[in-house]
Amino acid sequence: MKHTTHFAFFDEGSKKEIRRTTLKAVAIPGYQVPFASREMPIARGWGTGGLQLTLSLIGKEDTLKVIDQGADESVNAVSIKKLVQQTTNVELTNHTEAASIIQSRHRIPEAQLSEEQILVLQVPTPEPLRKVEASEYATKRLHAEEEYSGAWLLLFEQIMKYGKTATGADHPVYVNGRYVMAPSPIPRFDNPKLHASKALTLLGAGREKKIYAVPPYTEVASLAFEDYPFSVESFAGHACHLCGTKDVFLDELVDEETGETYYQCNDTSYCIDRLNSEEPAEVGHYHA
Amino acid sequence: MPIDQVHDLQKVYRSILDSMARPGKVTNLEAYKERMDYEIACYDTTLLITMTLLDGEVSFHVISENSQVVKDKIAAYTLAKHAPVEEADFIIVLKDAPDASIVEGMRAAKTGDLINPQHSSTWIMESSAPLSNQNQLKLTGPGIKKQKDLFTSFKPSIWQTRSETVQEYPLGIDLMLTDEKWQITCIPRTTNVSEQEVR
Repeated sequence: MKHTTHFAFFDEGSKKEIRRTTLKAVAIPGYQVPFASREMPIARGWGTGGLQLTLSLIGKEDTLKVIDQGADESVNAVSIKKLVQQTTNVELTNHTEAASIIQSRHRIPEAQLSEEQILVLQVPTPEPLRKVEASEYATKRLHAEEEYSGAWLLLFEQIMKYGKTATGADHPVYVNGRYVMAPSPIPRFDNPKLHASKALTLLGAGREKKIYAVPPYTEVASLAFEDYPFSVESFAGHACHLCGTKDVFLDELVDEETGETYYQCNDTSYCIDRLNSEEPAEVGHYHA
Repeated sequence: MPIDQVHDLQKVYRSILDSMARPGKVTNLEAYKERMDYEIACYDTTLLITMTLLDGEVSFHVISENSQVVKDKIAAYTLAKHAPVEEADFIIVLKDAPDASIVEGMRAAKTGDLINPQHSSTWIMESSAPLSNQNQLKLTGPGIKKQKDLFTSFKPSIWQTRSETVQEYPLGIDLMLTDEKWQITCIPRTTNVSEQEVR
């Protein structure tokens, strides 16, 4: 393949700056470290933070997986994969287990990650207190003083309105007992996967110019009240209509002809892997 | 063949990141041995880390009995600026550094402030004894499953001072340790380091 750009798109100076920032982020779990977010060939807010992290990490021997809302084949994932592949020539995969770097938008894969893997999450709004405080300087002060009344108040308002904490996605978490962090817009279903994860999790917000991290085996607790404990989305009584799995995050879909509701695994590669493992191979390997 | 500034340093970075995420994990960088033909009075792993992380945007300080030569070489190889210990982003402690200078340096070095805890110094320290996971120090904290043992050449007074600098977490210093056996390991500010009891 002909390379027309530098390996991994960036100049080495940019990589160094992102790498130094990432190391600080790992040393201060949950704290948003500012960095000089670069102009990328995709628009800010479309995964540039995650992309910059991936490009600073990736080497010739890596295998990359990119998912967008659980899907390997959606536009955002495919565009990012193409950009990284064209500038690095690395191997791409859909199999979660086969990847060394997994960049994801809004999901943590269903398959358990290993110690050898790095999960990169794309973040649109890294500041969990932004809804209650517009000023960046003020939110930095609130983090400095560990003053998180605003985050608790948001949950309290949900309880007053709906009778339960009803964060659709991006339910705030307490990391290592010190920083309240936005886990990126993953469903509540994925929050427990961050706790004591075997893999390193890096989060990048390109538009907001922040990098933060959750090291492996780190305490991550979803914010909740004693009388209103944290709960994940429930799919009780439903199963994926393709593979029959029950204990995963399911998408609710409507059959347009019959108007019936049905459910399907959100993590497409997990669903396909399960289907493949159940089906006997139609064509076996030919051994001479 | 000299070090490949793109691909070799990417791998070194991943080793540093892995050790920073899993404090006390000792990684071997011997694969670069033959390519390191630099004449410099520090461990090759120390130079590899500086080449990976330092550039013209950051400053460094060298603590050693005879720091001038190493100082000039690192500045020439990385384009980083030399600065006093109170201002330096990276502080490089060579194996001949007297304990008193290390302790004094740690007390003076940047630990960040509560609004910007990342404005702290990162220490690259040479252990004169090979790093290993034999029991001497007990490490606990984020990145460590239960506890990790680590053996270094640094005296209890240095660990005592390091613990003082990280007492007001999130303020503190992060350490990267190197040795002559081509090994590195990291101890970020979140790691609780305690001495093992002598049995």
